[in-house]
Amino acid sequence: MLIDLTENPACTECGLCREVCPVFQIQRQEEYSPRGRAILGSAGIQTLVFYQCTLCRTCRVVCPVGHDPGGEIIRAGLISAGIETEANQMMIANIRQYGNPFGPLAEGELPKTLTCC
Amino acid sequence: MESLESLFQPGQVSTRAETKAAYSRDASRIQGPCQGVVWPETVDDVVRLAQWAAETGIDLVPRGAGTGLCGGATPQNSIVVDSSCLRKIGARDVQSKMVVVDAGIPLDQFNRTLRPDGLFFPVIPGSHRSATIGGMIATNAAGLHAVRYGRMSDWVEEVVVVDGKGEVQRLSAGDRKVFAGREGITGMVLQATLRLTEIPKSRSLTLFSFEHLADMLEQVKQLKTNSALSALEYLNPHAAALVGWTARHCVLAEYHSAEGEIRDPAEMANLWGARESLSARLTQAGFPISEDPQFPPETLEDNLDWLTVQNIPVFGHLGVGILHPRFLREDARIAELYYRVSASGGQISGEHGMGLKKRQWASEALKAEVLALKRQFDPQHIFNRGKLC
Ligand SMILES: Cc1cc2nc3c(=O)[nH]c(=O)nc-3n(C[C@H](O)[C@H](O)[C@H](O)COP(=O)(O)OP(=O)(O)OC[C@H]3O[C@@H](n4cnc5c(N)ncnc54)[C@H](O)[C@@H]3O)c2cc1C
Ligand code: SF4
Ligand code: SF4
Repeated sequence: MLIDLTENPACTECGLCREVCPVFQIQRQEEYSPRGRAILGSAGIQTLVFYQCTLCRTCRVVCPVGHDPGGEIIRAGLISAGIETEANQMMIANIRQYGNPFGPLAEGELPKTLTCC
Repeated sequence: MESLESLFQPGQVSTRAETKAAYSRDASRIQGPCQGVVWPETVDDVVRLAQWAAETGIDLVPRGAGTGLCGGATPQNSIVVDSSCLRKIGARDVQSKMVVVDAGIPLDQFNRTLRPDGLFFPVIPGSHRSATIGGMIATNAAGLHAVRYGRMSDWVEEVVVVDGKGEVQRLSAGDRKVFAGREGITGMVLQATLRLTEIPKSRSLTLFSFEHLADMLEQVKQLKTNSALSALEYLNPHAAALVGWTARHCVLAEYHSAEGEIRDPAEMANLWGARESLSARLTQAGFPISEDPQFPPETLEDNLDWLTVQNIPVFGHLGVGILHPRFLREDARIAELYYRVSASGGQISGEHGMGLKKRQWASEALKAEVLALKRQFDPQHIFNRGKLC
């Protein structure tokens, strides 16, 4: 069955952006490619896959139609829906409480843990 | 699916909802249900998988980059076998200009590794950033430089295939009918020995535009006698306007010499970038259906005229008569196009393949060929069941 253009209007699904994505280079699975993410987004699938995006937008640079992956907006939606990684929760809590993502740090102390999403 | 998972390492199989959704279609946007995905790392992995498929009756769909435009890599309740972990490039023999590569290597990455030796692989589809060697062999891809370098089957010396009986076949160029352009129905290509050629010393471009088709085709005839010619790409007025070129019949000619008008690398990259963006831009402009008829030269004028009068955007590899008219989602003129191709003595698929999209248009001769190949290499229809015809 041919899907309608309205099902994923922003991305033509050509796949030309796969190889520039640093996350796809590691994972080698379509759901982590910019096209895969666009397909998941258009299908309304809320998944932790969206946390594995560096927000670098290299995919947009090579995309012939300039599709923006919009990782921040998608993640904001995930957080509202309560879908969040533990690391992300800790990072946000640290920023709110200590003003940095690492947690309590004495003056001049180097962080021992790097919390990322 | 548990029996499948037990055959592989945990990271090599996925039946997660997000995986199945992302693999449910290729660039054609033809969609089908996916039961799971396997990422083989060795020939043995695919042998085990083929045996598992024979036991369970579930079919396997080989997949490269999923840039195919006719649903060839679309599953139909199948397991998709993704070649993205098969990316080794063997040592190249610079003297004989040959190299052994895994099927999952993307073309641009492959060519980047060849550059230090002054060599390149010259079959270059518009999808070169991502398209894999395996997918290109399976579709017998042509592309932007076909007028000079031909198509995939001209450059493959040998392939290693796991067929539907779970047997490993080593097939030489003489057996190309078994694998080239067979869209994975005889088995999965895992490795290929490819011939390479030298990177040209110089390149240049000229962008021609014409009011009348007859004048353009006369010029094309002349250009084709030039031994430095390396590409001859066409855009009709509708397509040209979309990339900001004069809305006339445009021809982008590339030479392996300095005789073209444009020699500045940045300017040349801009022109190629515009040409290569057309496919995606036309999809977004509401013309998602990409056809790929190949017309004999003497029938081009009549058919190009018909397409342009119909207001159908067209671009393509004019040097070898392969055109890409783009159609609306439901467009009765596609059937008319196919009748015109047949009446002109052309091919309805010049380079993309038949996949799911065109299978109802397969000729009786093609059906007979496919049946014979299936009997020999895949009697249980394990690989790409229902594709091609
Ligand atoms: C923007 C754009 C431009 C394009 N330009 C061109 C062009 O100029 N010329 C051209 O010929 N095509 C072109 N194409 C079509 C497409 O890129 C080619 O058909 C390409 O060869 C497909 O390679 P892939 O790795 O993406 O294969 P996929 O799309 O993954 O698969 C294509 C077919 O090959 C089979 N297959 C894949 N890998 C294997 C394997 N290892 N063993 C056996 N079977 C396998 C699949 O089952 C499927 O039937 C274009 C597509 C796009 C989106
Ligand atoms: S923005 Fe995200 S999807 Fe795009 S290339 Fe970077 S990591 Fe990949
Ligand atoms: S994001 Fe752009 S380049 Fe990537 S698949 Fe979609 S349209 Fe193609």
